[in-house]
Amino acid sequence: MRRTAAREGRIRPAHVLLALGAVITVFPLVWEVLTSFKSFGESVRMPPTILPAHWDRSNYAKVFEAVPFGRQFVNTVVMALLRTAAQLLLCAMAAYAFARIRFPGRGALFLGFLAVLMVPGQLFLLPQYQIMQSLGWLDSMQALVVPGMFSAFGTFLLRQFFMGLPEELEEAARLDGANPFTVFWRIALPLARPGLLALGILTFLWSWNDLMWPLIVNTDPAKMPLSAGLASLQGAHLTEYPVLMAGSLLATLPVIVVFVAMQRQFIQGIAFSGMKG
Amino acid sequence: MRRRSLLTAAAASTLAAAPLAAGCGPASSPSASGGGSRRGHLTYGVWDVYQVPAMKRVAREFERSRPGVTVDVQLTPNGTYWTKLRTACTGGSAPDVFWMNGPNFGMYADAGQLLPLETDGPEPVLRSADFPPDLVSLYRWKGVQYGVPKDFDTVALWFNKEIFDRAKVDYPDASWSWQDLITNAQRLTDRKRGIYGVGAPVREQENYYNSVPQAGGWVISPDKRRSGYSDERTLEGLRLWIDLIHRYRASPTLQQMTDTDPTQMFQSGTLAMTYEASYNAATFHADRELRAKVDVAPMPKGRRRATVLHGLANVIYARTPQPELAREFVRFLGGKRASLLQGKYGTAIPARNGTAEPWAAGMPRFDLQVHLDALDYAVPYPSSANSAAWQHKDQMWLAKAWSGDLSLKEATSSLTTAMNQLLAQERKGES
Amino acid sequence: MSVEARTGPVVPGRRARASAVVGRELRRRERRFRHRDKWWGYALIAPAGLGLAVFYLWPVVQTVYYSLTRWGAFGGTTWIGLSNYRTLVADPEFWQSLANTGIYTGLVLLGIPLSMVLAVLLNLKGLRGTGVYRTLYFLPVVTMPAAVAVVWRWLYNGDVGILNQALSALGIDGTYWVSDPDTIRFAVAVVGVWMTVGHHMILLLAGLQSIPADYYEAASLDGAGRIRQFFSVTLPLLSPTLFFTTVLSVIQSLQVFDLVYLIIGANTQNSLQNPAFGEGQTVVMLFFQKAFFDNQRGYGAAIVCVLFVLIMALTAVQFRLQKRWVHYA
Repeated sequence: MRRTAAREGRIRPAHVLLALGAVITVFPLVWEVLTSFKSFGESVRMPPTILPAHWDRSNYAKVFEAVPFGRQFVNTVVMALLRTAAQLLLCAMAAYAFARIRFPGRGALFLGFLAVLMVPGQLFLLPQYQIMQSLGWLDSMQALVVPGMFSAFGTFLLRQFFMGLPEELEEAARLDGANPFTVFWRIALPLARPGLLALGILTFLWSWNDLMWPLIVNTDPAKMPLSAGLASLQGAHLTEYPVLMAGSLLATLPVIVVFVAMQRQFIQGIAFSGMKG
Repeated sequence: MRRRSLLTAAAASTLAAAPLAAGCGPASSPSASGGGSRRGHLTYGVWDVYQVPAMKRVAREFERSRPGVTVDVQLTPNGTYWTKLRTACTGGSAPDVFWMNGPNFGMYADAGQLLPLETDGPEPVLRSADFPPDLVSLYRWKGVQYGVPKDFDTVALWFNKEIFDRAKVDYPDASWSWQDLITNAQRLTDRKRGIYGVGAPVREQENYYNSVPQAGGWVISPDKRRSGYSDERTLEGLRLWIDLIHRYRASPTLQQMTDTDPTQMFQSGTLAMTYEASYNAATFHADRELRAKVDVAPMPKGRRRATVLHGLANVIYARTPQPELAREFVRFLGGKRASLLQGKYGTAIPARNGTAEPWAAGMPRFDLQVHLDALDYAVPYPSSANSAAWQHKDQMWLAKAWSGDLSLKEATSSLTTAMNQLLAQERKGES
Repeated sequence: MSVEARTGPVVPGRRARASAVVGRELRRRERRFRHRDKWWGYALIAPAGLGLAVFYLWPVVQTVYYSLTRWGAFGGTTWIGLSNYRTLVADPEFWQSLANTGIYTGLVLLGIPLSMVLAVLLNLKGLRGTGVYRTLYFLPVVTMPAAVAVVWRWLYNGDVGILNQALSALGIDGTYWVSDPDTIRFAVAVVGVWMTVGHHMILLLAGLQSIPADYYEAASLDGAGRIRQFFSVTLPLLSPTLFFTTVLSVIQSLQVFDLVYLIIGANTQNSLQNPAFGEGQTVVMLFFQKAFFDNQRGYGAAIVCVLFVLIMALTAVQFRLQKRWVHYA
């Protein structure tokens, strides 16, 4: 009895704090939603109105007029899925080797991976572009996908994850004569599902919002993902806020849906990859 | 250089656009099959999303007159256009034909990235006499022509009649001097309502590139070796804006204008006057409410009358696999039919002489003749081989003077040093 | 590097324990496996390793080479030795941007304790609506940066922004947050925290939830109160997660680009008129400016090379310091 009372006493202030924080956190996004329904004139009016004078849905239509939204949506989905699938497989393989197999040069190789993790992304930009160009891949899906298939971060994350798994099952399998790949594929990988899911969701999110690289390699609007397509909405410095907001919302919505639908797995995954070294 | 509202594009596209014939046409085949009817595929690089409907329309017109030819209009958004173009040029994959502007032209021409264009002979790509001379010369490098002027912009004083009526001030006209601007801007300022007389931002094309020559100053010497930012007259042209903010308190502060763009203040009715380039006319026209309230007058004169003249050009990539077809396309773009078509969309004034009228006529509520007449007193846009580098510096230093962090003398002396250094590097071919 | 300190000793220790149990026969067989394992190790690493080498490591080498050259606007490089680095050391703009980036990173790190508080609150037993809170706090993480920046610029607007309107209701005079040299860094850092708090919170919450309940029971049997439990159980057991979060946060903050770039309005035509531009500009923004606008690719390459070295050094220091406070179960 006393314990529940004490608990009650803690819960209420916790709710107050959390709710306050949540309101502050969500406010800018609510503002984004409201602005997306205002007319351009109203959006620049001073002082600003909170609720739209009348709910103007035409901004959403304008997004479709200004960019080939459907096409770019498909591009984004394909790009994000391919990058994610490739990263999951390749990172898991490398991560398993780093976590479980001993071989000469492992430390040095791992250091090489970590080095990539620490390099500012802009450092790769120009040489990567030149590679794409010499392969004749500019304005193509390959250009969007291929460099994003490899991830030092993913390898690091999954390695931590594998290191946290109990070794006994794998030991047993290996005593039965299974080779390391079989052990990896049959035993370690299924155990690593939460970690894979976490990495998968993270990669998916990052790919979805990735902007700079697509802008550089794919200039054809039909080959762009949504992020780049929307950036072209900012065609000039007099940005039409309501349309930009509408476009961004449309582009962000699928990601929010994915997160909301899978947040339990996401959090479980992070918990396991949970950085218990 | 370009500022425009999406409404314009929406309006324009419902006006005149038809979708581009989805074309993945025949792959590049440079073989010419008979006079003028070459087959092939061209790419056309542009950066302004609002002009895409007009550009696609013109491209389609070209395709229609050349069966077997397809033109692909490629939009690269403003922010990455130049980065992307430079990388593409380095790697040999730039569009066959693309837009060029004044600040970047020198660099491309100097590096041999552009195809020289014939201005005489039996089949010239352009005849200089067909375009305003300052625009033609803006795209000439060491005596060779590389660009066909596409459009031009001049600057004028836009004003909100409502605010003038309320303050009982006469509308601006051609007789206004700087002093009239100052006095009336003060009278129009109403701090209680949050209304300011005029916007004095650190904008090159719209503001100080006009006031400097109006005061008799200069930005860069004709031999492109020296910065003019230490000249007394130049300082006078710059001080106008600083004084409007700090001394006469008739303009919002620089911080206010950073937070809310002066053009936006003007659109929302809190700025009585603003210096705007002609390409914003369509934006103002697209806003029904605003359309009824605003009009345009010539810029007030200082020692003399002046507007800086800028315009884009169509240029051809030096390593295009289809130089002949590209020449034909660029000639077509500079021709009368394409120019008139472009003007009809209202987004830019066509550069070709005698084709500007439809642009003005499309927005009869405004006295747009002011923008066209400004050609008579236009001065060329300041440029050198690597203008982009020093223009970056000049905005940064001048902003410190505008904000009051530095005195104008301090800012301009640092700026002069920095700019002269960059110009010297330019001559040594370092970039 | 000190990374080894963490990865190296783990394997022999564990293996030795295992083999002691299973006996000599196992040890003999294991040795044989290990010999063949070597090749499996290389094979598993090869695809990711080759990809990273081609698309990431080799570009790094190229960029280091670029930093020792001067570029023509359209290719054509001249070897100029360390000249770019000498220019850099003497360039006040570089030092200013470095200071800005450092301050930003420091401020954004303050988001970690904040995330920690939120995570602890969310982890309270009997709290309902955890899922809702988690989702709400995480929303900024998934929203597109371009849109985020525009919204915040709106909120921060000195004349009509909601922030100043709210402040004036409290009788406080706001300022021009993103165009005032004194406030720009804080304004940007707040957005940085806003965008990362949800992410950190989820990592930390996951860490909290993986702490076995019996640790707390044992501690409370020992008579430890809530506060002491936090410091004697929660913090030590959470320290690996905190460490990971901090390392990533530092690396990401030092590379900050698009958020600051967009909030300062550097994507707009007249961004340079922002009087707070100098105080806001980050190292990567400066690199971007030099490499892509001022046509000084070599110099730009030198800037990112220096940044790279700094990030490496800071990370190494953190790994070294982790022994003092990170507790691996």
